Amino acid sequence: MVKIVTDSCSDITPQLARELGITVVPLYVQFGNESYRDNVDLTTEEFYHKLETSKIHPTTATASPAHFAQIFTELAEETKEIVAVTLSQKFSAIYGTALQGKAMVKKDCRIEVIDSQAGAGAQMLLVIAAAKLAQSGAGLGKIVESVKKAVPRAHVRMTFDTLEYLRRGGRVGKAQAFLGSLLKVNPVLGIKDGEAFPIARCRNRAQAVDFLVDFVKGFGPIESVAIEDATTPEELELLAQRLKDLVPAEHTYRSKVSPVVGTHVGPHVLAVSVLEAL
Amino acid sequence: MKTDLADGQTLKEMFASGTAWLEKSAPDINAINVFPVPDGDTGTNMMLTMQYALQEVKPSSDGKASSVAKSLAHGALMGARGNSGVILSQFFRGLAKGLDSKASFDGEDFAKALAGAAQTAYKGVSNPIEGTMLTVLKDASRAAKEAAKDSHALIAILGAAVESAEESVARTPSLLPVLKDAGVVDAGGQGLYVLLDGALQFLKGESQRIQYRRPRLVVAETELVPRAARRPAQLETPHGYCTNFILEGPNLDAGKIEKGLRKKGQSLIVTGDDSLIRVHVHSFKPGEILQYATKFGNLHEITINNMDDQYAQFIKMQRQRMPQADVAIVAVAAGDGFFELLNSLGNIIIVPGGQTMNPSVNELLQAVQSAPSDNIILLPNNKNIMSAASQIQSLTTKNLKVVHTRNMPQGIAAFLAFGYDMNLEQNGRAMEKAISRVKAVEVTRAVRTTRINGLEVKKGQFLAILNDEDPIASNDKATDVVLEALGKAGADKAGIITIYYGVETKAAEAEKIGQDIRDRYKAQVEVVHGGQPHYSYTISLE
Repeated sequence: MVKIVTDSCSDITPQLARELGITVVPLYVQFGNESYRDNVDLTTEEFYHKLETSKIHPTTATASPAHFAQIFTELAEETKEIVAVTLSQKFSAIYGTALQGKAMVKKDCRIEVIDSQAGAGAQMLLVIAAAKLAQSGAGLGKIVESVKKAVPRAHVRMTFDTLEYLRRGGRVGKAQAFLGSLLKVNPVLGIKDGEAFPIARCRNRAQAVDFLVDFVKGFGPIESVAIEDATTPEELELLAQRLKDLVPAEHTYRSKVSPVVGTHVGPHVLAVSVLEAL
Repeated sequence: MKTDLADGQTLKEMFASGTAWLEKSAPDINAINVFPVPDGDTGTNMMLTMQYALQEVKPSSDGKASSVAKSLAHGALMGARGNSGVILSQFFRGLAKGLDSKASFDGEDFAKALAGAAQTAYKGVSNPIEGTMLTVLKDASRAAKEAAKDSHALIAILGAAVESAEESVARTPSLLPVLKDAGVVDAGGQGLYVLLDGALQFLKGESQRIQYRRPRLVVAETELVPRAARRPAQLETPHGYCTNFILEGPNLDAGKIEKGLRKKGQSLIVTGDDSLIRVHVHSFKPGEILQYATKFGNLHEITINNMDDQYAQFIKMQRQRMPQADVAIVAVAAGDGFFELLNSLGNIIIVPGGQTMNPSVNELLQAVQSAPSDNIILLPNNKNIMSAASQIQSLTTKNLKVVHTRNMPQGIAAFLAFGYDMNLEQNGRAMEKAISRVKAVEVTRAVRTTRINGLEVKKGQFLAILNDEDPIASNDKATDVVLEALGKAGADKAGIITIYYGVETKAAEAEKIGQDIRDRYKAQVEVVHGGQPHYSYTISLE
């Protein structure tokens, strides 16, 4: 069976990763000199607590090629085919790192690395789709083709209280168009061409959540939906209630925005991702 | 890693690592290059200068730090490209002086050398400006000097220098207005920081990571509006030619040559010694510069770049960094606060409405024609302008959509509803939908005593008008009329109340009214300077 690998910026829960046989490579969150592996050395709750109380603003770092090589080599004991789906290259060097790791593997194994051109929930939905294909017995070629075709059908919308985290982390991308506003707004961002893209400016949180719901409503047939919060589970629950008639429960995935992503989006983000059906 | 004494080999590898890191940052640095001229080549120039410098360090050299430093300085001088490259060569010149006769060096030596490098760099520039790589170098060297009081370890000294350099780069927009206006940190400063950071990574044993990581641009201290990138590429003043060469001759007098060239161009840097001088200058007559220099010796490494060509390329690159929208927006507005507010929200062409919010058809047409798109949305922002606006449609071949904003609150709501991922039709619809949810209360002075809508109005009193048509309250005091009007306008149902205060209204009074409204209503309340004429207060209810 093809083995699926992704990085921790897919926000996939450890439980779901286990169920679907997905290997997750952690990136790093750094508070000053302290370095933590995403969701391994630091849980999401611990991270957001630290984010809000620490005087040091965290930074993030990618995994090393050696680490990928190690993961690939270990998996090569069980399979001859691996597909890795990574965070967008415009957010992190991890895609290149995975490729370098692949080059270091000495075992006889086919490894394909795909840039999801997305992150968070959108990346998660692509990885889940790949894993399901793998579980159904599909080969490497079919999975790679399918994921690449799915990339343009994966969409995410995130609402923010502030773009300051994104700005400080240097990942504001085209959403810089929303910087410097003299009015208080709640920006909604998406990802286009692998980087942050400005979608809408809502006047308050309630409007922004309405926007997220309308976003899902605007699609034709949907394959799967992912909804995420960082520190506002009650909001997530309300959102889930509003979406439950649009998408069946078995195709709706709930998750938390992981520490590495959280460093760049802040603690009050709410995200909805949609993978359109073929 | 040796942290006690470093030799020539270490010095070379430090800067080799720094250069590798700089190479990775070069495209980003090019993109933020707006000073002294937006020619988008600072990253490349610094990288090429460093590569040349490194090449000059021969493997056969005696291994002494002083020799390596001298080679780096000579190489940087010969290979210096652009303004930043020349300043970099000055940096190495000063560094070499500081490490003179030292076979090996520690942190304290390096701190002293850095201080000398900063001085040399400043001296070389005819007109040193703060908020550039000179400032970053100065700050870094100061931090190094401080750190040397506690430790002589090279890694500690360089660490302090790098940390300070990063903070200094973050501050550059607050020192140099053109950076703030463009919404970027200084390109040369970023380059210098990255160079030193790469060197530090080598000392820490982390230079391998350079292969698979990429340096991020230092983030400015405060949020900046990327204004310059928003302007359509208007014809700026021509920039001339960036003229760069090495002058080789006997008994050269750098001071004299600098004086001779001072009046012939901008951004002049003359640096070197009595046999070899590097000249960098921006001039409209490069021929004159070269002619002048040939009097003193032979010219080498001559480069002349047309900075306007470079600028055009740069603007193209900048455009690609912002989201492309096929739709341009033209809006009428009055009040410097509103001008600033609208510009902070995105690309917009503002037609000043004047005292009476009454631009001519021609002024509107000009704005539409000059907009950088064939698809235009026009926001009249006053009911008086509606008819003029509708006339524009037949006067232009562009695809024009008038969104019927009757006042500034509606205009702002419409602008906020703009979507970069929507076309003209979709944007028009989204904006019309947005304005239908906005009520406006405008407070002005009554021009005569009268009775209207059951209201007794005395001349000179404050008069509140709902949705541009219905007078709903009048009072001697602005505060009272606002509260009364909001009560009648249904403020209890509003989610957001925004108070824009006019040119004659004091901020303190507006803030007080804002607080009174917050105390009374559950809505989110914002007080913003509009600076508008005629209306003491323009209030938006959403």
